[in-house]
Amino acid sequence: MTVFRDMRETDLGHVLEVERVSFAAPWSESLFRDEIGRPDRRWVVAEDAGDVVGYGGVMVVGDEAHLMNLAVDADRRRGGIARALVWRLAGEAAALGAARMTLEVAESNFAAIELYRTCGFDGAGRRVGYYPETGEDAVVLWSRPIAPALRAMNAARSGEDLILAIETSCDETAASVLRGGSEALSAVIASQVDFHARFGGVVPEIASRKHTEALVAVVDEALAEAGVGLDDLHALAVTQGPGLVGALVVGLAYAKGLALARGLPLVGVNHLEGHIYAARLLEPTLQPPLIALLVSGGHTLIVHASEWGRYELLGRTLDDAAGEAFDKVAKLLGLGYPGGPAISRLAADGDPQAIPFPRAMLRSGNLDVSLSGLKTAVIQYVDAERGAGRELRLPDIAASFQAAVIEVQVAKTLRAATDHKVRSVVLAGGVAANPALREGLRVALAGHGISLSVPPMGLCTDNASMIAAAAHDRLLTGHVLGLEADSVPNMRLDG
Amino acid sequence: MTGSFETASAESTRRAGKSLARFLRPGDVVALAGDLGAGKTQLVGGVATGLGVDEPVTSPTFNLLLVHPGALPLYHFDLYRLEREAELEDLAFYETLEGDGVSVIEWGDRFPRALPADHLLVTIRRRGPEDRVFELLPSGSRSAELAREWMGALAAQGNAP
Repeated sequence: MTVFRDMRETDLGHVLEVERVSFAAPWSESLFRDEIGRPDRRWVVAEDAGDVVGYGGVMVVGDEAHLMNLAVDADRRRGGIARALVWRLAGEAAALGAARMTLEVAESNFAAIELYRTCGFDGAGRRVGYYPETGEDAVVLWSRPIAPALRAMNAARSGEDLILAIETSCDETAASVLRGGSEALSAVIASQVDFHARFGGVVPEIASRKHTEALVAVVDEALAEAGVGLDDLHALAVTQGPGLVGALVVGLAYAKGLALARGLPLVGVNHLEGHIYAARLLEPTLQPPLIALLVSGGHTLIVHASEWGRYELLGRTLDDAAGEAFDKVAKLLGLGYPGGPAISRLAADGDPQAIPFPRAMLRSGNLDVSLSGLKTAVIQYVDAERGAGRELRLPDIAASFQAAVIEVQVAKTLRAATDHKVRSVVLAGGVAANPALREGLRVALAGHGISLSVPPMGLCTDNASMIAAAAHDRLLTGHVLGLEADSVPNMRLDG
Repeated sequence: MTGSFETASAESTRRAGKSLARFLRPGDVVALAGDLGAGKTQLVGGVATGLGVDEPVTSPTFNLLLVHPGALPLYHFDLYRLEREAELEDLAFYETLEGDGVSVIEWGDRFPRALPADHLLVTIRRRGPEDRVFELLPSGSRSAELAREWMGALAAQGNAP
C-alpha cells in the first residue's frame, strides 16, 4: 500500500536514485536539500513498504503553484502513483492559496504530457531550448482551477458527488444527473431514431445538427428532473469517444463551455466503458473481474475487465458489427429501421432451425467473430428463393439468421468467461435488447455457475447515466480533461 | 482502358486487393460499387494487408470513415448510409481524398459527382454464391495506369482472362 507524506532529508538517498534514472539532467542532492522546509514549497513522497517510490514538489507564488519536479520509480510507473502525487501536491498548493498549477515538461516526454493532460492541464506555449543539456524545448502547461477538482474528488470519495453527464456519440442526445456514482436523479434522452428511420440508418449530418438543436433542452430537463442547479454540481462528464466525429464534438464543445463558465472539472468517458458501467447501475455490488459482451450498431466486442478502468480486448468482429448485420438484413428483407427489433419480433414466430445459415468462426480457436459471411448467406438464400418463385418465409429467415448470430456470440462469450474464470458476465449495447440473445446467454452461463447482468433497456442503449457512473470512478482516480481535449472517434478501450 | 477479372472465393477477392495495394500511391482514389454482400469490404481487407495494416478492416458502415495506418494511410469510406451529397462535408471527404493516403470508398457510386476527376471505379457483381466479377473503369490517366498495373499483376497470378 502506497502512502503519501512530506519529504524528509532522510528520504534523499532514495529520491536521488529515482531522480537519476528519470531525467537526463537530474537535480543534485544539494538542490533538493535546499528545497525542503522552505515555507513556499511543498515536497511529498510516495512510500511503499519503506521505499520511496515517487515524489514531487511545488512552489507557490501568489495564486500560482509551480510544479517543479515529479518522478516515479521506473518499475512502479503506470500504477497511478504519479497521478496521486499530482493531486496530493494540488491539495498542498491550494492550502497555500494557489488557484492553478503550471509546469514545464520536455516535449519528448509523452508519458508525462499525457498524465498532465488527463489531470486537466492545457498547453500554454513553449520554451525554446529550455533544457541546456539536450537543447530540447519545454512545453508549458497550466491546470484548470484546482479547488473545484479537489472538491469533486472529495465528494466522489464520500459518495456525495453530483455529476451531470452528456452523451452524444451517435444518435441519442442524452443527459443525466447521478449522485454518488449510482443514484440516477434524472435521465433524459431525446431519441433521434424517428429522424433516422426515414433514412434507414444513422446519418451523421442529421445526427450532429439534431444534437445541436436538442442538447440545451435535454440538459435543462435533466437538471430540472433532478431538482438541482448548475451550482450544485461537482463535475461534468462527457463522452469523448468512440463514435461519429460530428456527433461527439457537439457534446464535448458544449460540456467544455459549461465547464469553463462554471469552473467545473470535466471528465471524459469512453463510451464503451460506459456501457459496462450500465451494469453497475443495475447491480451496485457488481465487481470485476468480469467479461463484457458489447454488441451494438457499431461495435461487437468481448472485453475482460480485471478491475474497473482496466480492460483487455479479447475478441471483436473482423467485419460487420452485430447491430449492423441486423440492420442490413432487415433492409434486405424490407423491414424497418432499426433492424434489430424488427427481426427479433419476426423471429419470435419463426423456426430458428429452418435454414442452416453458417456459424462463422465458431471453432476458430480465438474470440473474434465474423458476420459478413452470414449476411452474404442470407442474401444468397433470398435470391435463390426469389429466383425459384417461392414466397419468402420472413419469420423463418429472421429466426434462422438471429439464431446464427446468437449461437456464435454465446459460444465466444462463454469461452471468454471460462478461460478467464470470471463469475460475472455483462451484456451491454443496443443489441442486448434482443430477448433471444439474453436468454441464450443466460442459460449457457448458468450451466457454468456464471451470473449474467443485463441492464434494463434504457441503460443498454446509449444513455448518459452510464457515462456519469464511469465518470464517478474517473474522479476517484483523478482523471479530468483540460479544455484542449479533443473527441476521439476511434477511442480504444484498452489504451 | 477498362478491364475485368473474376474471383471464386472471398479469399481470392482478398488476394486481388492485396495485389492492388503495391501499385497505390498517395492521393489515389478507388471507388467500389456493388450490392450488399458483393465483397467490397473483403477487397479493402486485401488492400489493407498489402499496405501492411495490422488490424482487422471492419465495416465502416457505422462510423462512415475508418482510418488504418499502414505503409500509406488507408482511408476506408462507406457511403451506404448517406442520403445527400452535402453530408460528405461532415466527413472531411474532399480534404481526405486529397491527402497523404489512399482512399477506398465503398458505395462510391452513390455520389458520382463527388468523386475526383481521376479515380478508379471498381464494380463488383455476384455471379454465383462465391463467384464475383470485378469491372474496372478508370476516369483519368493515373487511374488508367493503376488499372493497367493491377490487371497485369492479376494476369500473372492467373485471375484475369
